[in-house]
Amino acid sequence: MRGTSAGGGDTSSALTVLMSISGRVPVLAPASRDPNRSSAVSLRGLTRFHERRPTVVGVNLDVDPGEATFLRGPNGAGKSTLLRLIATAIHPTFGGGLVCGRDLIFERSGIRPLVELLGHRGRWYDDLTAAENLRFVCSLYDIPTAGIDAALERVGLGSSSGIRVRDHSEGMRKRLSLARVLIRRPELLLMDEPYAGLDDGGKDLVDALIREAANRGSTVILAGHERREGLAGRTVTMERGAIVTSEVGP
Amino acid sequence: MTLFPAARAVAIKDLTVEIRARRAVGAAAPFVGTVLVSFGLALGPGRTLLHQVAPGVLWLSVLFASVLTVRHGWAAEMEDDAVEAFVLAGMDDASVFLGKAAALTIELLALEIFTVLLTSLLFDRSFLGQPLLLLAALILGTIGLSVVGSLFGLVASSPRAGDGSLPLLLLPLASPVLLAGVQATGYAIAGQPGRAGPWLGLLSAFDLTFLAVGIVVFEHLLEER
Amino acid sequence: MGRRGLRALGILTLAVSAASALASLIVSPPDAQQGDLVRLMYVHVPSAWVAYLAFTVVFVCSVAYLRSGRTRWDRLAAASAEVGVLFTALTIVVGSIWAKPVWGTWWSWDPRLTTTAILFLIYVGYLTVRRLAETPGRRARWSAVIGIVGFVDVPIVHLSVRWWRSLHQPPARLIGVPDLAPSMGLALVLGLVAFTLIFVYLVALRLRVARMEERAFHEALATAMYPDRGEVVRHG
Repeated sequence: MRGTSAGGGDTSSALTVLMSISGRVPVLAPASRDPNRSSAVSLRGLTRFHERRPTVVGVNLDVDPGEATFLRGPNGAGKSTLLRLIATAIHPTFGGGLVCGRDLIFERSGIRPLVELLGHRGRWYDDLTAAENLRFVCSLYDIPTAGIDAALERVGLGSSSGIRVRDHSEGMRKRLSLARVLIRRPELLLMDEPYAGLDDGGKDLVDALIREAANRGSTVILAGHERREGLAGRTVTMERGAIVTSEVGP
Repeated sequence: MTLFPAARAVAIKDLTVEIRARRAVGAAAPFVGTVLVSFGLALGPGRTLLHQVAPGVLWLSVLFASVLTVRHGWAAEMEDDAVEAFVLAGMDDASVFLGKAAALTIELLALEIFTVLLTSLLFDRSFLGQPLLLLAALILGTIGLSVVGSLFGLVASSPRAGDGSLPLLLLPLASPVLLAGVQATGYAIAGQPGRAGPWLGLLSAFDLTFLAVGIVVFEHLLEER
Repeated sequence: MGRRGLRALGILTLAVSAASALASLIVSPPDAQQGDLVRLMYVHVPSAWVAYLAFTVVFVCSVAYLRSGRTRWDRLAAASAEVGVLFTALTIVVGSIWAKPVWGTWWSWDPRLTTTAILFLIYVGYLTVRRLAETPGRRARWSAVIGIVGFVDVPIVHLSVRWWRSLHQPPARLIGVPDLAPSMGLALVLGLVAFTLIFVYLVALRLRVARMEERAFHEALATAMYPDRGEVVRHG
């Protein structure tokens, strides 16, 4: 996997970008010309502005299927934004790419069923119970509800399945998100600081999920500060919105 | 997932949340009571006048209560960013729109039973003249309010939105509902079905138009940029 | 539209407006019943025309924006709305001023004026939504939605208000278009043209400002994106 950022001398692509802003040349995701369609994630020049400040700048990233990638960097480096871009929760301001072989901008509806984003917010309905929330998730993704109880048991919420999420602790909410991963079995798993708020048992659970994903051939990208033992694979470092290094191993 | 089953799932989820938390109807019902009493105090005590304005006051209370209900209905979505789940699931945005509109309609209709009773009590006006017509007026009008409310509930839940944003958006656009609802209700309880007919027709046209428009444009509201 | 084009348009607008003012205030005769009051018509009717024209532009641009995603449509819609809301306010105020001496009341819930008042509120809603949205993309999309929904709503509003108003005996329609002498008709047409030109000029002006703002942003953007990034890039 290779990760780079556009350097200061890259004037030709700067021109392309500027011309596209003025509406004269549409930015075609160069990745659509990329013959390597079997990659899980393939990003080119991905840039995202928040109001007038760049949060992600010129990211080029390739992740092979089944790979586990550790995305690290200081707070504000753009890790969360990058994950959300890949999950198609937000649109890029410039650039594009492919996720699971589908265009990031034009085939979003094809990407979404394959990706699970484990973010800072759990996306739960506080007034519903854990089981009810998962049942709604199943209806969203057209998944049979049979696996809910088993998933809740596995994450240690079996006895709390009838409690409203409002009364859950933060650790319990995190575990519920892990249950969602178990039920969905996504092809691409994006985890944003998954260990935060979990006790040791919870952290072990996260590692187990990552291992199982790898065994299934699913791709995992994990963003965080600390890196745990279980995660083999590559490390990508981000700083101020750009990828600065990318190397194999921890 | 196809349109109607998905919409049904969203509607059931909304109603479950509402029944559990009793947020929307729980806040709206006392509010309706307060509004009705206030209208009575402001316009009374002459019974003739109160008797005359009863349909108008009814619909005004419903209109104001719908603002509260819509806002509460969307609060649950914004708390934990649950609204993003719709986008991430690649769900058909029209389903979300229809589901939320359906749930809102049911919630408002439940509220209206209470409102009709209280209005007829305080304003000394029997609403039983033509119950089927009254029901038709209430249902058609409520659908109209719910459709417009579901369209702008998300916009009005934006962090920058002030308390006045939703009424500003909702009330002018829903003014045909107010006009037609009051007139249709008035004729229904006065036992004049013939004159209520055209107004019910207007309400139906409004509902169909905004359902169609809403289905087409809703995705542009949900998608983040 | 370049600076020269804008100036030419400005001169043309000024010329036609002058002609229109001349025609309305001096050349055309006072009305048999209303006297000089009828001259308000030369402001009220054209500004009403522009108010609705502007909203039609907002609608068309909103649709175009949602289908194409090109920001130029959003810019035009916003400019048109900002100018349109002014003309709508003008229509209501002049209509009200005209109504007082003729009908004896500032506001008679006349169907057309009432619809225009609701249109004004929809405009305000449009402009409010633009302030509410947190990102430029949302701002454009959300306001495009309300531009479309509002436009579709206006005929329904007008119909319902007209039915509603007809429930009671309306006052004699003195503010209609009274019997027009030829010079009055000419003055009215000149007024319509003048106001349309004023609208176009103001929108063009507004667009120019918007484009300058955007150019400044793009320059800042380019600098932010491609400063001299001296970071080392290593391949794994």
